[in-house]
Amino acid sequence: MSKNQKPPLDPVILVMIGIVFVAVAIGLAVVQSNPNTVNIANSSGTMSQLVVAFVTGLTTGGLSCLAVQGGLLASSLAHQIEQDYVEQAAQRKTHKKSKVQTPVRSNSALPIFLFLVAKIVAYTLLGALLGLLGSFLTLSPAIRALLMIAIGVFMVGNALRMFNVHPSFRYFSVEPPKFITRYIRRTAKGTDTFTPLFLGALTVFIPCGVTQAMMAAALGTGSIATGAALMFAFTLGTSPVFFVVAYLTTELGSRLEKFFMRFVAVVVLILGLFTMNSGLNILGSPLSVQNLSRGLLPSNGGGAAETGSTSPVAANRGLVLQVGNEGYFPQTLKATAGKAFTLNLVTNQTYSCARDFVIPALDYYELLPDTGTVQVNIPAQEKGSTLFFTCSMGMYTGQIQFE
Amino acid sequence: MIRKTFKVPDMSCTNCVMKLEALEDTLDGVKEINASYHKLEMVIVYDETKLTDEQIIAAVKKKGYQAIPA
Repeated sequence: MSKNQKPPLDPVILVMIGIVFVAVAIGLAVVQSNPNTVNIANSSGTMSQLVVAFVTGLTTGGLSCLAVQGGLLASSLAHQIEQDYVEQAAQRKTHKKSKVQTPVRSNSALPIFLFLVAKIVAYTLLGALLGLLGSFLTLSPAIRALLMIAIGVFMVGNALRMFNVHPSFRYFSVEPPKFITRYIRRTAKGTDTFTPLFLGALTVFIPCGVTQAMMAAALGTGSIATGAALMFAFTLGTSPVFFVVAYLTTELGSRLEKFFMRFVAVVVLILGLFTMNSGLNILGSPLSVQNLSRGLLPSNGGGAAETGSTSPVAANRGLVLQVGNEGYFPQTLKATAGKAFTLNLVTNQTYSCARDFVIPALDYYELLPDTGTVQVNIPAQEKGSTLFFTCSMGMYTGQIQFE
Repeated sequence: MIRKTFKVPDMSCTNCVMKLEALEDTLDGVKEINASYHKLEMVIVYDETKLTDEQIIAAVKKKGYQAIPA
């Protein structure tokens, strides 16, 4: 290709860039929209769950999925790339004598697009199935916590595998069963459209860590429709990042791929540690980063409140905990040891996961109303003990110290 | 038919497995290939009258990997 010649624009690329922008715009619009809109849509918080799923996919899920499922995507592209290579070689041969080189575009955008469409459909169906399964099961916070810790370990292991830290970390990568790869290869021969579609659907067998967390959430919904909607929102959210990174890596060559995969490894490592920490929070472990730092820095946590002091004490002489969109205030409450009391959880247009309130040690879990007060009876605790509380995702935390 | 193991040290993900096993379809004389990213190796069952080690190594190299007889 001569330097002055510009390759023609692939319409699929334009469409995908459009989708990327629209998805990002929807994400931003939804996040910044009036919370009342969310409330009107569904008072039980389903809409806010979908928003969280979409934003999680948009911000972290795409990279994490790419790290785990990149292999399948790459194999769906392999045929296309080979075809492009053969085409390029043939054209070079044809134009060798005339010394005129015609640009050959790589057509990886279409397979990636098909791959992602199939992936969205497959995960939506999986969400429906998990929702159905969840209607028969109940995930307790403790089981969810253990699941999150396991997912976190899996993600950290995968990140260390990508960094090539030790050969044993290769076992964190899931190899698709031989009969599946053989079947894919043989049935996909010569059908360009079918391969990425089929492989995209197969990603349900190798979900990434974040996806697995979302699958657990879909299971927790206990509803076919909500489970399907949750997985749809999440997978849709992952698509822009997945597409951009996959497209860039296939188009810009192995040097950039190495750079991107390292970047992905760093992000997956951080996500893995974050997920493990969230699991520890849901377990009510004093070893989580927040609980450790609060122990080391007693003044940390947005102020402390005591029973009997002037503010956060309710008319019923119990403690008041404000549950806001950004977490709990105060993060540290102080209560009298050896005396039962009432904890008043106050929400005021609260739509974040802080509403899913958990006290692990008391096995207490409640989805609070978006506006209102819920009272919790806290039994007498020993002097010097601490009760940790958290949201159901382990993101927002706090504690009650007994003195 | 003989069965031979080759070390493929530069495999970096499970996709490499699929790429190497695809040689089953293109390399004449091959009956079966089982590659493993976990072990960084491929086990190939082939007809030694139709295919040599050198041809296998060359085919693997074409795919972007280095095959070393184990």
